[in-house]
Amino acid sequence: MFSRRAAIAAITGAACTFGAEPMLVQDPGGKQTSIIPGKEVTVVTFISTQCPISNDYNDRMSAIYKDYSVKGVKFFFVNANSTEPASVVAEHSKSAGFPFQVYKDQNVADRLNAQVTPEAFVFDLHGKQIYQGYIDDARNAARIRNNGLRDAIDAALAGKQAANPQTKAFGCTIKKARRS
Amino acid sequence: MKFAIALVVASLLQAAAPTKLIPVDEVGYSKTLAANKSKVVLVNFWATWCEPCRKEMPVLAKMAAALKPKGLELITIAAEEPEDVKAAIAFLVKAGIPDPAYLKNAKNDDKFITSIDAKWSGALPALILYDKAGKKVKSWIGESDLNVIEAEIRKLL
Repeated sequence: MFSRRAAIAAITGAACTFGAEPMLVQDPGGKQTSIIPGKEVTVVTFISTQCPISNDYNDRMSAIYKDYSVKGVKFFFVNANSTEPASVVAEHSKSAGFPFQVYKDQNVADRLNAQVTPEAFVFDLHGKQIYQGYIDDARNAARIRNNGLRDAIDAALAGKQAANPQTKAFGCTIKKARRS
Repeated sequence: MKFAIALVVASLLQAAAPTKLIPVDEVGYSKTLAANKSKVVLVNFWATWCEPCRKEMPVLAKMAAALKPKGLELITIAAEEPEDVKAAIAFLVKAGIPDPAYLKNAKNDDKFITSIDAKWSGALPALILYDKAGKKVKSWIGESDLNVIEAEIRKLL
């Protein structure tokens, strides 16, 4: 079992810069796209078409996208579940009325060690990861006490570190494709 | 004779289906583990919205019932919103999970999860195995092979 100090060290160590190595996703048209955090504050959020928790956040994710994309924040909503093909993802995006597109993952969940949906990552203007965790801390929006993702984006836009760089994302386990 | 009857009644009570979920936080979790020292304990964190959790629960119930006489205690802790507790109890009854059953009720979920396993993100299902001394031996996060888990349990019994 980690000690508290070790746990904090592990959290601090989780922050890293991605430099030139791209994280790859595929857009709804099948075109490969690289996620290269840096020029803008960048948010990567893993979502699912089937996970009830992820779906509970559909409206909140749309609101965050609308609120912050106008401030220059770049968003990548990524589906990394091997059980949810691109056609299902596209249909779900349409039925959920997402104002953003959803990408299929190629290596990003592995690179970031994403485990669940929904789970968000925020990168600052230098490409440094400053946040990993939940969108907020309550499935039922009436019980939110901590807006982890919004707070982290605000911090990144202000050139600051997130007050709470890692929170425990809760939701459904990502079913990653096995890679050889 | 009275003692034998008491034992039978106690075992019948233990096998009873849950009618409520007992709230548990970090302190309650430690106390529950302490109360089960001398047994091998498998803690199962689950939720009704978690499909793999629902799938494995009846299998876990059977395994726990079979290994209980050898010293296994299965502790289920539901991660549910208050409005879903009734559905959780109904599911536990259907899955054959015995009383007592627990509900995660921590003031700070992050702190609670970290206190159980610093490496655990909170993803479900999560199975945590403790030996008879109450020491954490292994944890499985996400869908797991229950045959592997049963083999690990048998090593400890």
